[in-house]
Amino acid sequence: MSIFSYIREFLRPSWIRRFFYVRTPPLTSPANFRDFPTLTDKKCIHCLTCKMICPSPAAIDVIQFDGEWRPQIFQGHCVRCGYCVEACPEEVLTSGDLLEKRHSQGLAFAHEYKIIIDKVKCMGCGNCSTACPSNREIDENIGAGGTATSSNLVIRVEHGKNTVLHNELCKGCKVCMDTCPNGAIHVVRLVSAVQEAVK
Amino acid sequence: MSLIQSVKNSVRKRSIHVCYVNTGSCNGCDIEILACLAPKYDIEQYGIYVHNNPREADVILITGGMSPQWIDKLPDLWDRVPEPKAVVTIGNCPVSGCVFNRPGKLIDPPVSKYIPVTASVPGCPPSPAEIISAILGAAGELFKDYEIKNKEAQK
Repeated sequence: MSIFSYIREFLRPSWIRRFFYVRTPPLTSPANFRDFPTLTDKKCIHCLTCKMICPSPAAIDVIQFDGEWRPQIFQGHCVRCGYCVEACPEEVLTSGDLLEKRHSQGLAFAHEYKIIIDKVKCMGCGNCSTACPSNREIDENIGAGGTATSSNLVIRVEHGKNTVLHNELCKGCKVCMDTCPNGAIHVVRLVSAVQEAVK
Repeated sequence: MSLIQSVKNSVRKRSIHVCYVNTGSCNGCDIEILACLAPKYDIEQYGIYVHNNPREADVILITGGMSPQWIDKLPDLWDRVPEPKAVVTIGNCPVSGCVFNRPGKLIDPPVSKYIPVTASVPGCPPSPAEIISAILGAAGELFKDYEIKNKEAQK
């Protein structure tokens, strides 16, 4: 092939048109595209439900701006699952048509936290019971060894072993998991999708 | 601007060769890049050509959060890419490690620790439209008047 055949090939009008003009529609996202969650004008109550349900590490944080709590999404961490939009009780966040669907179909998340203690690994030091912020709210005078007179606590040391008393009071902060020296305690979040009656 | 420079600009805008490098991703982002090749998006009509050889590429697409095997190989690969060159990272993993960034992990994000990154596309995974617009934007900014910019930088 000579250079002239190349020139003839590339000077065809159809080839030039195809080379310089894009034919498909412009690069836009569909209308119901579930993008990164954005804020609505509702007020955040700092319940941290969004942070608890988020599956990705460090993707959402609730930060105080001028005395008002506001959730902030970190791009590069967020996986756009939309769980925070569905879980938020005040509807502070919105993304795509998730909020509309939530209203029309009555979708909601029910969650509970379950504390699991490995009785073999637990040595009854009581670090978890002392560190637990829910325990601290109920009984301010909880002992350093996790012993307490109140029986209305989340966890308490009884007979040298840690015992779960009221599972439903746990708020899922997992401070106990961080303070346990043996890795004997685990907080499991059980989330189930439920359908409420449509208003 | 000389005539030859404007010809170079217009041709470079329509002829971007990409090479994708998977540094230990879950293949979710790779499938989104694959969707760019499919008829709905068809990246070749935007002048982007997949050319899986770093020596002939202009833009390196990186997916994944730097597995240990890539730590010495990625800077080496980056040196082999001819100038002008750019890196576009696809997805969350090259930025943060995303869901793999857990205690006891093996990956070592971000990728920008090892090679200079021009643009990042966040999302897990990002949509093909976002990927294509990021490649076009990064390449358009970086490759336009490359010779003039290079001469000014050397002065």
